Amino acid sequence: MSRRAFLGVSAAAAAALTAIMVIKRPRAGSSPEKGTERAVETEELVATSCLNCPTRCAIRVRVVNGKAVRIFGNSDSPYSDGKTCPRSHVGLQVLYNPDRFTTPLARAQGRNKGDGVDLARDFEPISWGDAVARVGRKLKEVSPEKLLILRGLNTNSDEDLIRLFAAAYGTSTLFHEETLETAADREGKRMGDGRDNSGYELMSRSRTGTKYILAFGAGIVESERPLARNLRLWGMLRRETPNRSRVVVLDPRYSVTAAKADQWIPINPGTEGAMAMAIANVILSEELYDSDFVSSHTSGFEDFRTLAASVRFSPEKVAEVTSVAAEVIRQTARDFARSRPAVAWSGEAATSWPHGSQASHAIFCLNALVGSIDVPGGIVYQEFPPYKPLPLDAAEEGVNLRELGDLVRRGGVEAALGFNSNLIMSVPSTAKWNGDLKGLPYYVHVGPAVNEMAAYADIILPSCTYLEQWGYESALPGSGRAEARLKQPAIEPLHESRDIAGILFDLAEELGPPVSNPFRAIWDGAEGFGEAFVKQRTGPFVAWRDFKRDGVWLGPDYQYGKYGEVFYTPSGKFEFESAHLERLLNVSRPGDDRERPFTLGIYRPVLEIRSGTQNCPWAQEMFLVMDGIGWNNAVELNHETAQHLGIGEGDRVVIESESGEIEAEARVRQGIIPGAAAMATGQGRCASGRWADGIGVNPNEVIGSEYDEESGQPSYFSTRVSIRKA
Amino acid sequence: MARWGMIIDLDKCVGCQACSVACKSENNVPHGSPHEWKRHQDLYWHKVIAASEGVFPTVNTQIIPMPCMHCEHPPCVNVCPAKATYRRGDGVVMQNFRRCIGCRYCIIACPYGSRNFNFKDQERQEYSRPDLPPDLDLGYASHIGPWPYPRRTRGVVEKCTYCFHRIDQAVEKGQKVGGDGVVPACVEACPTNARFFGDLDDPESEVSRLLATRNSMKLREEMSTDPKTIYLPR
Repeated sequence: MSRRAFLGVSAAAAAALTAIMVIKRPRAGSSPEKGTERAVETEELVATSCLNCPTRCAIRVRVVNGKAVRIFGNSDSPYSDGKTCPRSHVGLQVLYNPDRFTTPLARAQGRNKGDGVDLARDFEPISWGDAVARVGRKLKEVSPEKLLILRGLNTNSDEDLIRLFAAAYGTSTLFHEETLETAADREGKRMGDGRDNSGYELMSRSRTGTKYILAFGAGIVESERPLARNLRLWGMLRRETPNRSRVVVLDPRYSVTAAKADQWIPINPGTEGAMAMAIANVILSEELYDSDFVSSHTSGFEDFRTLAASVRFSPEKVAEVTSVAAEVIRQTARDFARSRPAVAWSGEAATSWPHGSQASHAIFCLNALVGSIDVPGGIVYQEFPPYKPLPLDAAEEGVNLRELGDLVRRGGVEAALGFNSNLIMSVPSTAKWNGDLKGLPYYVHVGPAVNEMAAYADIILPSCTYLEQWGYESALPGSGRAEARLKQPAIEPLHESRDIAGILFDLAEELGPPVSNPFRAIWDGAEGFGEAFVKQRTGPFVAWRDFKRDGVWLGPDYQYGKYGEVFYTPSGKFEFESAHLERLLNVSRPGDDRERPFTLGIYRPVLEIRSGTQNCPWAQEMFLVMDGIGWNNAVELNHETAQHLGIGEGDRVVIESESGEIEAEARVRQGIIPGAAAMATGQGRCASGRWADGIGVNPNEVIGSEYDEESGQPSYFSTRVSIRKA
Repeated sequence: MARWGMIIDLDKCVGCQACSVACKSENNVPHGSPHEWKRHQDLYWHKVIAASEGVFPTVNTQIIPMPCMHCEHPPCVNVCPAKATYRRGDGVVMQNFRRCIGCRYCIIACPYGSRNFNFKDQERQEYSRPDLPPDLDLGYASHIGPWPYPRRTRGVVEKCTYCFHRIDQAVEKGQKVGGDGVVPACVEACPTNARFFGDLDDPESEVSRLLATRNSMKLREEMSTDPKTIYLPR
């Protein structure tokens, strides 16, 4: 079968299989009488899953007359009880984004990279065949290990295929944008349990709820994943269990989570790790820890006790660093240790620091101290669906941002492929990275709609959105229990867009053996490649018919207390060891207090759509609920500080750091600690489409280039800035 | 006849605004733009507002979801010179687009800011709903309903309807309304299950039970509007 014929078949198969459940037929004689709208001729509810954030909730899409008109949660998914967050509804505007790519594009002769994006001026449309041939020719030229692969938010199945392609092609230079947010936190937890998949369960299936949640800079109901599950469980823990659980939030900023918590404890930026050690100090010195768990399932406890119980981490000493009163620290520690199960939740504000992985480790150790590991309502280890193995071992680890920067600057990259990437919007020190990405010799951008990365592209391949493609997803750590979710096309791909699976298959075919061998091994020729891949991978555990009907597959119930097997550390136990916990007391950073007195933190609001675009009017017009801000973002300052600087509400201010300066609107509020400034991410775009461009500012432009020492994650919360009236 | 009411639990609500987005999506309410935002010309049938008080570090921000209050004594109905807005027998306050003359007295009269004036013709955006509403084939004789909403026009006032199209359809088919039955879009979409809908006159309904067991409050009670959207404070 030729490639052309294959494409035709896959499109037809997709269309036929989309009609899952026709639940309503037009009545005879009913005619569209009013205006141009058509009566409901066909109506389906397609079970698929969301991809506007990494939580990937199960959804059902109502499709009327071939148009997706409404998105609901899928009640077959117990992960979030069939509920979804607001982002899922915005999916319609991701799908019908008016600024989607319509055809493959190639950079026009003589048009420079990195100077904004004007599709009509900078690019010329080419055919799919031509585009694949051009990319294939380039990939044959470059040395395989010098191919860089950038990954934004993709379906799990596309992730697997991208890694398969990379392994078959012979590159291990993969970068995942998710590591920008989670690498340090994961690294810190890994120091304790050797695992990558620990999650906060909060509520077990038998309705054992967490009694006490101590959030260290964690926006549990705004930005922490898995968001929809967090939201649902928040409701349960508050009013659907006999004893309302207590939530205490430590954060420099009065976030939505802090507003809805029982207590907000303002804390100096970056001192959450020291606070965790002070809490450990109180728990240890007052003998409040879980001695059974600590003595049987942990190692390095004595050293940890010596360090944490030392006078350096006494509440009085730490109070000086954190500006939290010693008595508050004591009380919090006692409540935390006595209300079990309790969890200490490390959020981005605490871990996105040069000492972030240590802070994460210190916070994670609190969970071990109170015995909250692998118990109902505590920390659980997510199980994954037993997918059929890939035909080739695909490398898991890639490079971190620090290594990526070095690689690009040294000329270690000859060509790059970006899948749903919007790297430039999420990296710190935007201007520097703009220069680096401009220097990429060859960049192929694969994504559904125009975004800032198009400025660096030589070739643009229009891919489907998640509502037009096949795929599978695994539940994020949280419930413990394995859960697989299906993605199936709600509608046929718009314009000339094609799914990433098909694009990779074509590229592999173009490159020929050995790259194409694993792809050939998967594809049986009966249907489209994407569908065949999903069917094959999920075949071992779920019947295809059921999967397409329900959209969800559930694993066996989670078993708690598997202490013999959950820890992947050298000792096989939970490890308290960390050589660098003293570092947490010292949060000094380059620069000095007089020149740049503020620490700028960025936060991710709930309506920042995480799929690389913000071109969604619904999300834009209710962007920041706490401040009543739409179509904008603003820099938040403490009321008193602002008065001192002569800054009023709504004034234009200049935020200046070592990396540059930006101008933004000031938002003067009581709910932020003096000395801190905060901005929401997601805005400040220049090429994301008509509803996103020129709105707000991107705080990353002034974030400095510091990295977490262990994981190489950029430190988004540690930049010193000065603020003055514009 | 039932008397529909909505309960919003402010202890569970986290201000995620799933309700607002679901409302826009369900009722095909046009989205705004930066230009309209600045002029307060964008439309919301449901909006989440925040009110802050206190001084650092003892700050308190209340996040309040605001659908229409569907007052028992709606001031908007009293002032309407065209009888375009009216209170149905089941207590839902409706707006008839065809009768509305766009004078906006009702917007002034409403103490809750629940009403919006539509300043623009509906654009045929790709993502506006191409379908007619779910009650297309119900053959409504019982009320002069303003469907189809997708064909709204400029120059009239719009408002929340408690998703009457869902409720009426359920009543007609004899389905359960409220609880795990048919509910308005915002109630269905709420991820924290902070919202409840049902018959306030039925002592067995979920809403009545909540009102009997928890403290409750109504916004601007001093105005004697007697809202049927009722809040449970923290």
